Amino acid sequence: MTTETLDNRKKPGMIRDDIDPSKWAWWAIILIGLGIAIAFAMIFIPKYNEAFIYLVQGVVITLRVTIIAYILATVIGLFVGLARVSKNVFIYNAATLYVEIVRGIPMIVLILYFAYAFIPIVIEGIHGLGNLALMVLPGNGFFTGMTLYSIRSIPTELRGIMALAVGYGAFEAEVFRAGIISIGKGQMEAAKSLGMTYLQSMRFVILPQAVRRVLPPLGNDFIALLKDSALLTVLAINELTQLSRLRRASTFQIFETFNVVAFLYLSMTLTLSAGVRWLEKRLRIEE
Amino acid sequence: MKKVLFSLSVIVIAGILLSACGAAASGGTAGGQSQAGLPDLKGKAITVAVENAYPPFNSIDSTTNKGVGWDYETTLEICKRLNCVAEFKQAAWDGIFPAMAAGEYDMLADGVTITEERAKTVDFSTPYVTVGQVLLVRNDETSTLAQFKSDAQKLVGTQIGTTNEIVAKKTFPDKQVQSFDDFGAAVLALLANDIDGVVIDNVSAAGFMKEQAGKIKIGSQITSDEQLGFVFPPKSDLKTAVNAALAAMKADGTLDALNKKWGLSQ
Repeated sequence: MTTETLDNRKKPGMIRDDIDPSKWAWWAIILIGLGIAIAFAMIFIPKYNEAFIYLVQGVVITLRVTIIAYILATVIGLFVGLARVSKNVFIYNAATLYVEIVRGIPMIVLILYFAYAFIPIVIEGIHGLGNLALMVLPGNGFFTGMTLYSIRSIPTELRGIMALAVGYGAFEAEVFRAGIISIGKGQMEAAKSLGMTYLQSMRFVILPQAVRRVLPPLGNDFIALLKDSALLTVLAINELTQLSRLRRASTFQIFETFNVVAFLYLSMTLTLSAGVRWLEKRLRIEE
Repeated sequence: MKKVLFSLSVIVIAGILLSACGAAASGGTAGGQSQAGLPDLKGKAITVAVENAYPPFNSIDSTTNKGVGWDYETTLEICKRLNCVAEFKQAAWDGIFPAMAAGEYDMLADGVTITEERAKTVDFSTPYVTVGQVLLVRNDETSTLAQFKSDAQKLVGTQIGTTNEIVAKKTFPDKQVQSFDDFGAAVLALLANDIDGVVIDNVSAAGFMKEQAGKIKIGSQITSDEQLGFVFPPKSDLKTAVNAALAAMKADGTLDALNKKWGLSQ
C-alpha cells in the first residue's frame, strides 16, 4: 500500500507528474515569442526592415545620452546624498533645497526649462561677466571670448543630458542617503575610534557598504532614465522616440513603427535589467 | 416622499451639469436654415480639430485666452451657410492624420497642405488658398539661401510631419534640419539663437512675425505652390457640403475678404 502525499498526487492540468505548466514563466515565454516574431518581421518584411534600419540610429543616441546622464546623476547623487546627512547647516540646507525642488518638477518641464530658460540665462550671465571684466581689463582676450560665447557651444543634446542628470541626481541623492543611514551607527563610531576623520570613515568604511546595499534602486533608476530619455524628443534631439515620430509622420506606417520602437526599447531595458541583476548577484552582501 | 425628492434632485442636478457641458467652445446657431442652394445640415454639431499653435490659422489670443484665427472665422462662416454648429477641439499635430483617418473628428482645420500621400488616408476639401514656403530668419540675418545650404553651422527648424519638413530636408542637408513638436517651439529656438532659420508657410511666417514684432523676418522664398484645404475622414459626406459652401464663398467674395483679413493673400 503506497502512501500518497499531497506532493505526489497528480493535479488536474498536469501532463506528467513532474510537468506543471501552471508554474512556467508564461509572461517570459509570451514576451520572447513576440520578440522573435518582430525580429523575424524585421528581417523578412520590407516595411519592418526599413523601419529598423532607420530607427537603429536612434538607439545609439539614446544609449549615449542615458549612460552619460546616469554617470553624471550618480556623481551628483553621491555628493548631494552625503550633503544630506551632513551636520553642516549650509551644506545640508543647500542639498535639501536642490532635492525638494528638482524632485517636485516633472521631468519634461525640467528638460524644457533647462534647455530654453536656464541655459540662455547662464549664457547671458557669462556675457555680462565678460563685459564687466572688460571694463576693468579692456582688450583682454579671455574676457572678450566670454562676451562672445555663443549659446550654440552648448548643443541641445548636451542640455538634454544635463537636464536628465540634474533631474535624476535628486533621486540618486535620496538613494545614497538611504544607503548611508542604513549602515549602523556602530560602524561610524568604530571607524572614528580607530582615528579616522569623518571623511575617511565615509570613504573607507561606510560608503563601500552603503553602495552595495543600494545597487537595486540604482539599477532601477538607470532603466527609468533610459525610458525618460524619450522625453528629449521635445528638444528635437534625434533619439529613438524622435526618430519614430519622424518616421510615422513621413511614412504613415503607424503600426510597424510602433512595433519596432517598442521592440528596441524593450531590448535595451530588458538587457540592462538582466545586467543589473547580474551585478547585484556578484556584489551582494551576505549578512 | 424622501426617496422621490432625492431622485428628483439628482435628475435636476444631472440636467444642469449636462447642459453646462454642452456649452463648451461651440459656435454658430442651432435651429435655422442653411443658405439658399447649399446643403442643410439641420443644426448638426460638427467637431473641428484645431492645433491652436499655428497663427494666423488658429492660435490662442494672449489677451482673451480664446482661440482666434482664419480657421475659426471661416469655419463659423461655413457653418452659418450650412446650418451646423462648429465645436472646436484642440488636438496635437502629432498623430492627427491617423486620428482623422479613424474618424475621430469631423473636420481638421489647420492650414494643411494637400498632398497625394495624405490623400491616400484622408479626404481633402477643394483648395482655399495657395501659399509658398519661406525661410523665416532673425532680423539681423544676412546669409543667403545658398550660404545656408553650404554652411554646416547653419541650422534650420520645422515641424514634424509637415510638407515644410519634407521641403527642408530636400533643400538643406539632413543634418542641418531639426524637427520640433510645433512651429512655436521652432520659432522659440530661432529667437534663442539655437537655430538660424525656420522653414514655414509664408502665411504662418507672417503670423509669427506679427506676434514677434521686429525680431524676425522672411529670408528667402523656397516654394510657391502649396494648396491648403480642410481635412475630412475618408468617405465623409461633410466634405461635399463644405465644398459647396466654399464655392459659394469664393463666388461672392467672402473667401477673398477672409484671406485678405488674415494675411493669406494680399
